[in-house]
Amino acid sequence: MAIAKAERLMNLALCLLGTGRPLSKRELRGSIEAYLEANSDDSFNRMFERDKDDLRELGLVIATVENLDGEIGYLARRDSNRLPPVTLDAEEAAALGLAAKVWQQARLAGAASGALQKLRAAGLPEDVDPYEAHSALEPRIPVHEASFEPLMLACRDRRAVVFDYRKATAARPAQRHVEPWALECWRGHWYLAGWDRDRGAERVFRLSRITGKVRSRAGRFTADVPDVVTVRETVASWAGETADRTARIRLRSGSGYPLRAKASAVRDLGDGWDELEIPYGHGLDAWLVEFGPDVVVLEPAELRAEVVDRLRAVAKG
Amino acid sequence: MATNAIDQTRRMLSLVTYLRERPGARVEDVARAFGITEDELISDLDILPLCGTSFRGGDLLDIDTDGDRIWWRNPGALSAEAAAPLRLAADEATALLVAARAVSTLPGLRESDRLALLRATAKLEAAAGEAAGASARLSVTFESEGGVFADVDRAISERRRLWIRYYSPARDEVTEREIDPIRLVSVGHTYVEAWCRRSEARRTFRLDRVAEIRILDEPSAPPEIELRDLSEGLVQPAAEDPEVVIEVGPGGRWVAEYYPHDSAEELADGGLRITLRTPDPSSLRRLALRLGRDGRIVSPLGLAESARQAAGEALAAYDGHG
Repeated sequence: MAIAKAERLMNLALCLLGTGRPLSKRELRGSIEAYLEANSDDSFNRMFERDKDDLRELGLVIATVENLDGEIGYLARRDSNRLPPVTLDAEEAAALGLAAKVWQQARLAGAASGALQKLRAAGLPEDVDPYEAHSALEPRIPVHEASFEPLMLACRDRRAVVFDYRKATAARPAQRHVEPWALECWRGHWYLAGWDRDRGAERVFRLSRITGKVRSRAGRFTADVPDVVTVRETVASWAGETADRTARIRLRSGSGYPLRAKASAVRDLGDGWDELEIPYGHGLDAWLVEFGPDVVVLEPAELRAEVVDRLRAVAKG
Repeated sequence: MATNAIDQTRRMLSLVTYLRERPGARVEDVARAFGITEDELISDLDILPLCGTSFRGGDLLDIDTDGDRIWWRNPGALSAEAAAPLRLAADEATALLVAARAVSTLPGLRESDRLALLRATAKLEAAAGEAAGASARLSVTFESEGGVFADVDRAISERRRLWIRYYSPARDEVTEREIDPIRLVSVGHTYVEAWCRRSEARRTFRLDRVAEIRILDEPSAPPEIELRDLSEGLVQPAAEDPEVVIEVGPGGRWVAEYYPHDSAEELADGGLRITLRTPDPSSLRRLALRLGRDGRIVSPLGLAESARQAAGEALAAYDGHG
């Protein structure tokens, strides 16, 4: 039976951590059963390179050293691999325990529990009963988009990416070349901010509109990444939340609670209707139409015309 | 495969450090400390005796369990230095720091919890060193209504019933109800899962739709119910729910982003044919009205007709003035 990959990785890690001097590939191959069983030099070399990469992903710092005979040796030096002392009290530990559970994305969920396990091994106090003493809150960070992981790695490693992107109202996707800066989750949706190479400008992309695969370029991009990226402002303006106008509408009494919550003034007209003033940016017409015959737009005239237009389209069927 | 090799290796490296300090540790306690099942731990304990610093030298880790306690019979096989706690990887620091920062921004989080989280975050940043840098590339903001949140949180910890006025967009109405809160869940928006005394059923309420809230003196007594796994989303239509078919043009593609659906077929004009299920199709009248010329309800016919009728009635108010 083939030897489990976890067993092979673990043996390589322990060999590299346990040695005081660099070990050559030959020595490692002679020490680890899975490598001994490799049926060719080629397959051993491929396996060894991949395993080193995997261990580096886990945070292991593996030094490559050339000895006097020109032979390459490997070791994981203690000082570069040891966790600095970190002392957390029971409250802090419980808080981190809650935070470690929020990811719903496999890679980050695995990484978060891995971090907590490393801290646990270093003496992090164990939860007494997290539900008694703390908020009854279960925050979850949803990640449904397949493009999340490649973009996260591209942001981390500063690699430019190429993907097909369909704008909200476009019929066909178009290819975009982007230097990715940061990912932000807002209102349960993920957005990417970055430099759009074709447009020569900063752009925000919604991950759910990326179609197909994200491909990343081999080299690192060298342009600066801004410290502060304003994803939220951009998205809020898409959503029409930057109000610069006021609408006056009639609303049937008792209906349209969210419109009332947003209104700057509400007046009872006494005939089963109220009059509301609502500050808005754009997109209000689509929202008002949802309330059907319970809303009548008074002004401005453009808004009134847009609503009538939408209603006619629905009435025609 | 239950665990991937990377996560398992990461875990086993920490286990080695942990077990070396705790001879005779209980399987149950170790599994809890590591946030894994006992079966997962046992599968790690099956692999560890096959690992060591040198296969040929015979110094494999002699780690053994009787199913209750774990014994390491040759702790000298690994030097104290080799078994020292390992530094955090960039992804590990990112995952934990981004989550901790996100949780600490939740309005309504108890102040003592927030302060503990901020202290922990600062210590973690220091311990992670360079590995913490990449965490600046990810951020998450939860939305929740601070005052409502604090009341729900308090009601849960004091086990008291709540009275709420709640807005239901499907019916465009605000109803009063008494609920026994069970837990708060944040998935983009923040929700309270509760036993609703009006419908005598489990219900999920979005906090930003709570128009008014009061903590009652009555104790909260939700029946014992199994908590659902919400990772697939809060809206989980049942197989027996009626089917709704909607065709949208390019301007209505957003429907597929907002409504959980069974299928979304591409149409020749760049639009989509979306099939979804909902216990109450009439609740989609709003959507039909909103879509305007960007889409239409294909079925059920009753729903399409009620949208047409509502639009017709609404237009009547503009007649002669428009």
